[in-house]
Amino acid sequence: MSEEKAMTLDKRLALVSFSKDPEPFITVDTEICQNCERKPCLYICPAQVYTWQDKLNYNTEGCMETGACLIVCHKIGAKAITWKYPSGGKGVSFKLG
Amino acid sequence: MAHEGFEVAVVGAGPAGSAAALTLAREGVQVLLLERGAFPGAKNVFGGRIYSYSLKKLLGDRWKEAPVERFIRKEGITFMTEESAFSVEYESKDPQGSFTAIRAKFDKWLAEQAEKAGASLINEARVDDLILENGRVKGIVAGQDKIPTEAVIACDGTTTGLARKAGLVTMLEPQEISMGMKDVVELPSDTIEERFGLDPGEGAAHVFVGACSGGLRGGGFLYTNKDSLALGMVVGGDDVSLQGVPSHTLMGKLRGHPKVQRFLKGGRTIEYDAHMIPEAGPGLLTRPYTGGMLVAGDAAGHLLNNGYTFRGVDMAIGAGVAAAQTILEARKKKDYSAGSMQAFERRLRQEPSLRDMYTFNRVPSYLRNKRLYTVYPELLCSAAEAVYRVDGTGKKKILKELRSQTKGRVSTLTLIRDMLSGARTF
Repeated sequence: MSEEKAMTLDKRLALVSFSKDPEPFITVDTEICQNCERKPCLYICPAQVYTWQDKLNYNTEGCMETGACLIVCHKIGAKAITWKYPSGGKGVSFKLG
Repeated sequence: MAHEGFEVAVVGAGPAGSAAALTLAREGVQVLLLERGAFPGAKNVFGGRIYSYSLKKLLGDRWKEAPVERFIRKEGITFMTEESAFSVEYESKDPQGSFTAIRAKFDKWLAEQAEKAGASLINEARVDDLILENGRVKGIVAGQDKIPTEAVIACDGTTTGLARKAGLVTMLEPQEISMGMKDVVELPSDTIEERFGLDPGEGAAHVFVGACSGGLRGGGFLYTNKDSLALGMVVGGDDVSLQGVPSHTLMGKLRGHPKVQRFLKGGRTIEYDAHMIPEAGPGLLTRPYTGGMLVAGDAAGHLLNNGYTFRGVDMAIGAGVAAAQTILEARKKKDYSAGSMQAFERRLRQEPSLRDMYTFNRVPSYLRNKRLYTVYPELLCSAAEAVYRVDGTGKKKILKELRSQTKGRVSTLTLIRDMLSGARTF
């Protein structure tokens, strides 16, 4: 029980299958992010693709392709994210969704 | 790839797309069904339940071949504080009305039914654009391939890329989306049956409201699969973003609750899934059609959360069928203009199961009332505590106790107003 109680996001993401898309499908103009007040992408993303350390960092390898970051970035944030789905067959693959 | 000679391209092999492709293929239409995942269902996530009527209607007796996990016997809701829980449970006399499923199995199976009827399924095909001529959709673009068709049915999910390309939607607002997340926790099937009080093959659905969402608009869910539990949270996109609460941390809040802990005991988490849910209803698009194209399923907001039932797959199937029927009619007239496609909207409103989307159109704004996630669950729990607790300090009569419980939490007037407004909304 205690082990399960300590379920972290890292442990969760290790349970998901990803196939890396060599072509970038999310790009962020991180210069713009410097002026972003609310940084909503940090909170909406269920996979913590976006993190902040002096500047915005993003790692799309754990992206679950919800598309929510694009919406909050453009409506609450600084409009820095460009987003499309990964190429056919690439990206996340759910077995038990 | 040579994809000549297809009359209709259906984009997305989820429930809406496969139902549409199946309906068209049965009538001899040359249908191309495109799926961006490695297989249908690979990109799809839901809470866990499908209402059976939609499948019966689509497939007749063959619906029984569907990859069902468990038929839902028990419906439960729990209002929770950090440590207490007030639960209500209903046992239906006939569990066949809905079932739990796993999308990687179910969507794959449904797409196979479309294939059997004659539709051509292509996996790993991302559709990037529409072929547009004078504002009319004339086909699709997938990578290097331009595929001309008479019509397109876009069932490309919540992010609804094709509807945007066709100018049918502007970007959703953060309060019009929710983030859904779930853990799949493996448990032996007999443990599930004992723990939830079920006979073999039967399942339970449970909703959690209160402390698990940390005061944000949202709630938890639990569905029993054959040998796993699907346990998840859904939370408002505006709330997590504006209040700076990382969405995934709510999973920990739900799992930390003693009641949920007891459900999960001894289980092993085997997958984590996430999905964005559009909450705007069919109002998501300015219209679900344009010349040469229809939009169905999540992409068109064809789903319904009315606070106590969560419906997506059944509505997507219904909308997919309605889209296919609209195309069949247009095909007879050889007229795929916007004027002809408009019949889709009429079909959506006339179909009784889909009409519910319009009936409950005031629910989303009602569900933005924060008291539903804070004051009321607390009130129910503390009232139950006061009613059931005997500690020798003397008891009040129930009504008097309830009155004293509301004091300082919510005014009688607000309480009555919320109840009346609820009665009108649901």
